[in-house]
Amino acid sequence: MVFGSNQIWAPWTVEDIHAKADLGRYRIRGMSTHQKVTHFDDLTFLSTGLTRFPLEGYKEQCNTAVSLGGLNAENPLELSTPIYITGMSWGALSANAKTALGKAASMIGTASCTGDGGMLPAEREASDKLIYQVLPSRYGLNPNHMATAQAIEIVVGQGAKPGTGGLLMGVKVQDDVAISRDLPIGVDQRSPARHPDWLGPDDLAIKIEQLREATNWKVPIHVKLGACRVTDDVKLAAKAGADAIVIDSMVAGTGASAEVLLDHSGIPTVPAIVLAREALREIGLYRKVSLIASGGIRSGADVAKALALGADACAIGVSALLALNCNRDIPEANFEEEIGLPAGQCNRCHTGKCPVGIATQDPELMKRLDPDAGAERVANFLNSMTMELALLTRSLGKGDVRSLEPEDLAALTIEASVMAQIPLVGTNKVFGT
Amino acid sequence: MVNLDASKLSTRELNNQIKEFAANGVETITIANPAARHNIAVGILAECDLQIEGSVGYYVASLLDGPRITIDGNAGWALGENMMSGSISLTKNAGASVAASMRGGEMFIGGNAGARAGISMKGGTLLIGGDSGFLTGFMMQKGRIIVCGDVGDAAGDSMYEGTIYVGGEIGSLGADAKIEESTEDELIEIWNMLEARGISERPHFRKIVSQKNLYHYDGRERHERPLI
Repeated sequence: MVFGSNQIWAPWTVEDIHAKADLGRYRIRGMSTHQKVTHFDDLTFLSTGLTRFPLEGYKEQCNTAVSLGGLNAENPLELSTPIYITGMSWGALSANAKTALGKAASMIGTASCTGDGGMLPAEREASDKLIYQVLPSRYGLNPNHMATAQAIEIVVGQGAKPGTGGLLMGVKVQDDVAISRDLPIGVDQRSPARHPDWLGPDDLAIKIEQLREATNWKVPIHVKLGACRVTDDVKLAAKAGADAIVIDSMVAGTGASAEVLLDHSGIPTVPAIVLAREALREIGLYRKVSLIASGGIRSGADVAKALALGADACAIGVSALLALNCNRDIPEANFEEEIGLPAGQCNRCHTGKCPVGIATQDPELMKRLDPDAGAERVANFLNSMTMELALLTRSLGKGDVRSLEPEDLAALTIEASVMAQIPLVGTNKVFGT
Repeated sequence: MVNLDASKLSTRELNNQIKEFAANGVETITIANPAARHNIAVGILAECDLQIEGSVGYYVASLLDGPRITIDGNAGWALGENMMSGSISLTKNAGASVAASMRGGEMFIGGNAGARAGISMKGGTLLIGGDSGFLTGFMMQKGRIIVCGDVGDAAGDSMYEGTIYVGGEIGSLGADAKIEESTEDELIEIWNMLEARGISERPHFRKIVSQKNLYHYDGRERHERPLI
């Protein structure tokens, strides 16, 4: 090896330069960042001992239901679990995948969310509670669809690629997807980064009032932010009148992004939640404006830690797709032959050749995902996460997930202590204060 | 026919009443004293004639599907945003982002329009009697914009499809836009539209369309080539 263990010119860096030398532009892929960042694994719960007593882990009642966005909305979003399925577009995902996610959410009593491609009628039918996104592109935006939603979400930014718009390669801009988006068939769609009708937070306040008028003040208006300048952005969104703020971190997933944005923009989920919490607290709106965290939520433990840090709920994307069979070696698929990578390593959602029928518009590949069986797997996963969350909550002596708090946690690393504002294990010290 | 006085109603009350009257088949609703207020006539999803007697603020007559709206005055930003069907006629000037993401129907601006007129437009016709500002038709996808006067810089930037007809001067073209000559049939159709609006001038409209050079990324990675 010429380079051996050279950290600067690592094998993947060499490969990256070779690829870009061939390509002449930035690289594109799906999934999420490859950066190593502080995450929920760097925190641990301080369960009960002699200072507190636990609830029976498997039996005693523990409330997992949450109510989101009740500040101005007549009908807040009532969820049986503080976990819902985040916005992912019909286009990035197949119709079967969107339908399965909606069904799974309904089976559990939680919500799913549209995405950057308008509302798929089958998704509406499958979803008891549907969050309707209003994105910069406005692809497929229809006020008749909006009127049926249980919440509206204005997307300012996406954690995986903050400061830019959606991306959908032409192989997926086909047939009904192209029609719904009013785009030429086969075009490499690069969505706008800015909303067409408002620019700054003062305009956003008027936009929020518009959406309230369009929905008769019945449903919550969420604002989704890519986690970057969290403190100021959260204050501005709350001041503009958001009922709920979704803070989407740099570890969040995507169906397609320029790799440079995935790996080099945004901040991780843990500090994003803490900064958002403190921003809301500073303006007197903490626990009034709901705080929803997303990005790298993989288990009930991650949800519990997010809630303890100050979130009211979590939204999941990649983990729901994994439950749906993403990267699973199913009998119908041959990953190596069809996508060029083994199952478990695939991040080629953008190619539209998803071997498990999720991130594709190819009718033959789509058949590999049965929406009913997929819905059952995702519902099982949501149920598992909720049970894990309740189990941890009881182990902390609490009968309600809304009672989780920062003092239930300890940090395993100095970085986590700094970012989470939690004492490092073995000390009483919160680093960075 | 129903007459509403905006000065005696909150925006919420005003919109509720418009929706209720429209749903109950009232054919004509007039609104007096709008006082440049934002968000009047938002989300009306039924057919009716709505006449607003004065200038209005942002997002007026937006998220519509069906109504025919006339406004005697000026309008702020995002007039007619995301209109699905119906019509809007404004006697004076419109602010920025008029007809943003409009998907259908017809809109007429008697005076000038600000920046980003017809931004992300997805269908329908936007007819501007005067001039139009910077980034007209930015990222436009479908439909047509007709500007009788001059159009500002970066016209038609990054447009996918659709057409911007310009009767006056073009400040500059945006990325991937080009100028073409209009056909005789196109000119006659536009002139007839102008005549129906009481405009006697017959400018020789040139049209701005997409060069379509930005439709696709130039290359594919080695591993992508067999896939896309």
